[in-house]
Amino acid sequence: MASPCKHLRKHKPDLVKVYKSLCERLVYPATFSDLSHKASFWCCLVCKSKDNPLLCCCLECIYFACLDNQHLKQHFDEKGHKFALSLETGHIYCSECNDFIYDRDCEYARRDAENAHRKLMGFSLNYTWNPGKQEVDQIKQARKRVIRMSSKTTYGLRGLVNLGNTCFMSCILQALTHTPLLRDYFMTDQHRCIPKGVDQCLMCEMAHLFQEFYSGKNTPHIPFKMLHLVWTHARHLAGYEQQDAHEFFIAALDVLHRHSRSSAMARNPQECQCIIDRIFTGKLQSDVTCMSCGGVSTTLDPYWDISLDLGTQTAATGFSDALLCPVDQAVAPASLADCLERFTRPENLGSSAKIKCGRCDTYEESTKQLTLRMLPIVACFHLKRFEHSSKLHKKINDFISFPQYLDMTPYTAIYRDHSAAPEAHQAALLSSRQSLDRIKNKYALFAVVNHHGTIEGGHYTCYIRQHVDDWYKCDDHIISRASLDDVLASQGYLLFYHKQFLDYD
Amino acid sequence: MGTKDELEHSFIESGEKARLKELLSQRLKESGWLTEVQSKCRAIIKEKGIENVTSEDLIAEVTPHARKAVPESVKRELLQHIRSFLQQQTGLSDL
Repeated sequence: MASPCKHLRKHKPDLVKVYKSLCERLVYPATFSDLSHKASFWCCLVCKSKDNPLLCCCLECIYFACLDNQHLKQHFDEKGHKFALSLETGHIYCSECNDFIYDRDCEYARRDAENAHRKLMGFSLNYTWNPGKQEVDQIKQARKRVIRMSSKTTYGLRGLVNLGNTCFMSCILQALTHTPLLRDYFMTDQHRCIPKGVDQCLMCEMAHLFQEFYSGKNTPHIPFKMLHLVWTHARHLAGYEQQDAHEFFIAALDVLHRHSRSSAMARNPQECQCIIDRIFTGKLQSDVTCMSCGGVSTTLDPYWDISLDLGTQTAATGFSDALLCPVDQAVAPASLADCLERFTRPENLGSSAKIKCGRCDTYEESTKQLTLRMLPIVACFHLKRFEHSSKLHKKINDFISFPQYLDMTPYTAIYRDHSAAPEAHQAALLSSRQSLDRIKNKYALFAVVNHHGTIEGGHYTCYIRQHVDDWYKCDDHIISRASLDDVLASQGYLLFYHKQFLDYD
Repeated sequence: MGTKDELEHSFIESGEKARLKELLSQRLKESGWLTEVQSKCRAIIKEKGIENVTSEDLIAEVTPHARKAVPESVKRELLQHIRSFLQQQTGLSDL
């Protein structure tokens, strides 16, 4: 049924009030005592069934009945009542329309009640965009200029001309322009620049780059201005030499972060709210445990990326404790999971690196463990393929497998704390609460930067994801289609993962 | 603690029902079930004309197919959670 319900209007002022309180207390209880009430009322008064998803509550008196067999209709016929609401969803049923109906005021009340309930339960909040009158008018006015994109559109794809060994920059720009949340930020024109002198802002240049990518042109873009700005703001990258893509990535984030201050006033420098920090910053927890007294000293550090060691670990620290030096420490990691497992494993700092323990007040041997305290929205992993030691410089060409979807739970501080508790070892099964938390830690791959060649010289290319699951290979000015298998079979230098489900708060 | 009524009551009261509902809807989203059922509903509405379909008709028509389309792994996971809830509530371990 499509036309709006004519019957609700007459009774609306009274019914909306009743509806609101029923929604807030019975459908979406916002307190645990209301949740308990819900449990008591949850029963069809005709058939006593408690598991009917179409259980409804009369809006005009206290009565509960199933909708899909005649129980609710019997009640409507007997009493002449017309409206009910679904206890599962909060939607309003009108017996004259013989269907669920939509009323804007009720729907807003329903959404608010639902989010209050979700807050109580610790779920992420639902958010729906409702265009206001002004926005609707704007969309209508611009209708002629609206471009409908097919799923195979090339909008958003653009090659970048190599300006002389600038492939390290091209591949990072490709990864950044295909970061979903960053794209949303720039395409909705959210960057507000406080003039820093003419054409000095890298954020403005990023905004311009997004416009170029989505302009519909299919000639390669020449990022000379971007390069100029990078040279001006990150002097160590200036010149036509080959540079490291990872180093460029970090330098670019740093400059972007500095230049976005203008639009996101940082209330507290530790907790910057600029778009770069909101997307890329996570927190790393480092626990140093004194081996003499067991005291733990914890520090938190922000991170933009996680650098992971490859190859066999050189036992420079001299492992003395057999427990902390498992045999497989000598085995090179073969997957991203191996690398992360190694990254978050407790490490004995050895007898040569004694640390002053706050409790013992003496220098003691200690162990150090890194875990992820806060996960960023975009997780960037840097596989340390370039080994620089006093003796040699070489590139590690080992294949490291990485998944399309990654569950970050095992590397979080919370998980480590839980699995350290003895009872957790017995219960291998996850509780519903844990299963829900794990969903929040799920990440999907969206860009991979690859290096071809040796440590002395080579070339960078990258794979990027477009429209959920289409993959493209970007090799400077050439963009070609790729398959997920191509991506997962590539060597991998920088891996970019995006959080799959975003939380609104 | 043991009768069906009491168990159903505490299933809601403890919030376990809301949690499993949330877990289920997330899993159905992840597995593509939601998109599939949505497009099925759209097709039915398009075919019959929006004025001639009620939610009840839609539910009746789409339910058999939608039930079958729920991935086995999702069913197993939910069943496992319900089982462990019951074990925890009743103290019986051989359910």
